[in-house]
Amino acid sequence: MSLILQSVQIHLGSTPLFKPLDLSVPAGTIATVMGPSGCGKSTLLAAVCGTLDPGFSLTGTISLNNRVLNDIAVEHRKVGILFQDDLLFPHLDVFGNMAFALPAGMSTTAKAGRIAESLASAGLTGFERRDIATLSGGQKTRVSLLRALLAEPEAILLDEPFSKLDEELRSSMRAFVFEHIHQVRIPALLVTHNTKDSADGTFLQLR
Amino acid sequence: MNISRPGKLKVFPYLTLTTFLLPILVGLIFTTIPAFGYLPAAGGSEFGFTPFLRLFSHPSLPAALRSTIFSGVTASIVSLTLALWIATALYGTRLWKLAEFSLAPLLSLPHAAFAIGFVFLITPSGWLLRAISPVPSGFTHPPDWITAGDPWAVALTLTMILKETPFLLLMVFSGLNRIDVKRTVWVGRSLGYHRLRIWTRLIIPQLYPMLRLPLLAVLAYSLSVVDLAYIIGPSLPPPLAVLIDRWFNDPDISNRLVGAAGAVFLFVITLACIALTMLAELAIKRAATDRMLNGKRKSPFESFIPGARFFAGGLLLINTLSLLVLLIWSFCGIWRFPDFLPSLYSLSNWLRHGEYMLEPLGVSVVAALLSCIISGILVVGCLENEQTLTQARLVSISQRSLWIIFVPLLIPQISFLFGIQVLLVTLHLDGTWFALVWIHLVFVLPYVFLTLANTYRAYDQRYSHVGTTLSSSRFKTFAGIKLPILLKPILFSAAVGFSVSIAQYLPTLYVGNGRFATITTETVNLAGGSDRRIIAVYALCQFILPLIAYLTAITVPFLMHRNRQLMRN
Repeated sequence: MSLILQSVQIHLGSTPLFKPLDLSVPAGTIATVMGPSGCGKSTLLAAVCGTLDPGFSLTGTISLNNRVLNDIAVEHRKVGILFQDDLLFPHLDVFGNMAFALPAGMSTTAKAGRIAESLASAGLTGFERRDIATLSGGQKTRVSLLRALLAEPEAILLDEPFSKLDEELRSSMRAFVFEHIHQVRIPALLVTHNTKDSADGTFLQLR
Repeated sequence: MNISRPGKLKVFPYLTLTTFLLPILVGLIFTTIPAFGYLPAAGGSEFGFTPFLRLFSHPSLPAALRSTIFSGVTASIVSLTLALWIATALYGTRLWKLAEFSLAPLLSLPHAAFAIGFVFLITPSGWLLRAISPVPSGFTHPPDWITAGDPWAVALTLTMILKETPFLLLMVFSGLNRIDVKRTVWVGRSLGYHRLRIWTRLIIPQLYPMLRLPLLAVLAYSLSVVDLAYIIGPSLPPPLAVLIDRWFNDPDISNRLVGAAGAVFLFVITLACIALTMLAELAIKRAATDRMLNGKRKSPFESFIPGARFFAGGLLLINTLSLLVLLIWSFCGIWRFPDFLPSLYSLSNWLRHGEYMLEPLGVSVVAALLSCIISGILVVGCLENEQTLTQARLVSISQRSLWIIFVPLLIPQISFLFGIQVLLVTLHLDGTWFALVWIHLVFVLPYVFLTLANTYRAYDQRYSHVGTTLSSSRFKTFAGIKLPILLKPILFSAAVGFSVSIAQYLPTLYVGNGRFATITTETVNLAGGSDRRIIAVYALCQFILPLIAYLTAITVPFLMHRNRQLMRN
């Protein structure tokens, strides 16, 4: 159970963005990739997710739980993503946002149960019918993480998820996110330009 | 820092609202009174239902109603579907850039000019049939087919679809700017959803509120269009709006009462269709909420998405061909059926008619410039006021009621123009420049607002904050920083306004009282004639004016900012 990057390199046209990258992220750990803005951190996440913009190309191998991801469509990769902006869908309430991530074929009661359970684990009991716009920054971050995890991804990517939160909230959110990832035992890849955000796992400087 | 300055800006919403509410309201009232029998000038002096009884017993009404509703409703539904389908299929691809690039020229082709070109394509003696004649079709003479002007208004409907889809697509473009589409798609895909489901469940629900008004405008327009119906619609009987226009211009003056009754009836039909559309939206929303969360990742229709490329290409192709056929006819000397191209070219069409066109061209340009400059100032004023209020966390009543400026687009023109004409004649203001520019403003302003508002609201106010702290003058900051940054969208919306003004047909006729001939009224009047060469020359001139406006709107910011990479988008 791990996410493995083998001599991964991304090119814009024919220019490589960074040196070939080797990284192994075991389940339940969070690897940190750090670097100044513009060094290609977010592009690396797009590559793992499979959403590279046209013009970029990828060499090397990305594999997740022994599946090579390179040629698998985004929809089938089972890689979740968390952005610095919460990206919660504004036309749906908290319940709708979370139900959207659940697999097809669940009964309504089963869905409601799963969602209530998940919200409770984040101290958000009873938030189902709340409008997204009424949530605080920390609540939004928590709901986005819960939503990403409800889809039962096999790995999760974190694109500077805390950078828009203030200092105090930041550390508690970091603890919250890391703890949940440890619990579900999936590999996570975090990119950031802030040393304080780095996790306990592998650490890599991108340049 | 206190940025609110409600004092001076507050006047803009009120000014804008009175400019628009008043004529519409007065126009509707002065159309409704004659509809109930009272119009002394036409011999109606008693209130009653006679005009309505005459209207409903008129032998042409059932067929007119049928073609009106069929063409209006079909054109709206199909245009919206196509625009959303094309966006779903093409967003993020290279073709999307091409589509964005080709929208401006597509939109600058006025409805009337396009319809004329389209007629020249599809009639039995048109270019399409010439292309396959005499081989392989076997025709040496034009066949006896009914294409343009068919009794079901299919050709009219097609024309509107071909023109309204690009318009709605433009609205889609501007709406998508306010949604983080790229990353919403990313999140959707990482949750396992395929393209069609992401668009129908995540993007379109966020986008639709921004498309609602444009869609309703398309609906009202297609239910009541007159100039297009003259060019390519059925004639015996014509759609309801044309029937009304004929009654208003009938030598038998008592028919004006029937016309007024028809205008009120068309107004009611339009309101009913708008109400039905809103109800349909509610019903779809309700029915979709559960489905939206059913967790199914892939739609069975997923494989249909790429089909949109075919429609987008077809749209572009037909528009191009229509323009091309106009060009050929305008330089044509002799073009016999079934020749694919003229056997003799000539400049004489342009030379002979050039001098007659100078005056209508001049009138068109002056009216368009005045109305688009005035509406530009009013719209920027309103949006500035809105931003000041938003910063002060205030929303005034006048600001909330700004949707009223869209009212002119949601009411059939002919339903209030007659009333305005009656009023203007009474006040001896008919046929004045004041009245002409005013009535053009009524239709230009909503479009300027529609095309500018989203980008204007997206402006990063922090630039101005920095500017104000540096220059300590709000006006300098506005003129020196904000306007240049927003130059491109402002010029683009002005170009849209300009082309809307150029294309006005009915308003110019009803308010001008025969004293103003614009390039559009001349073109539409000629369209019924038989000399395609002259018609083509006029139609091209109608196209050239907005084209110049759009080119200016594209080149000026490009030249001014050619060394500024950040200003490219």
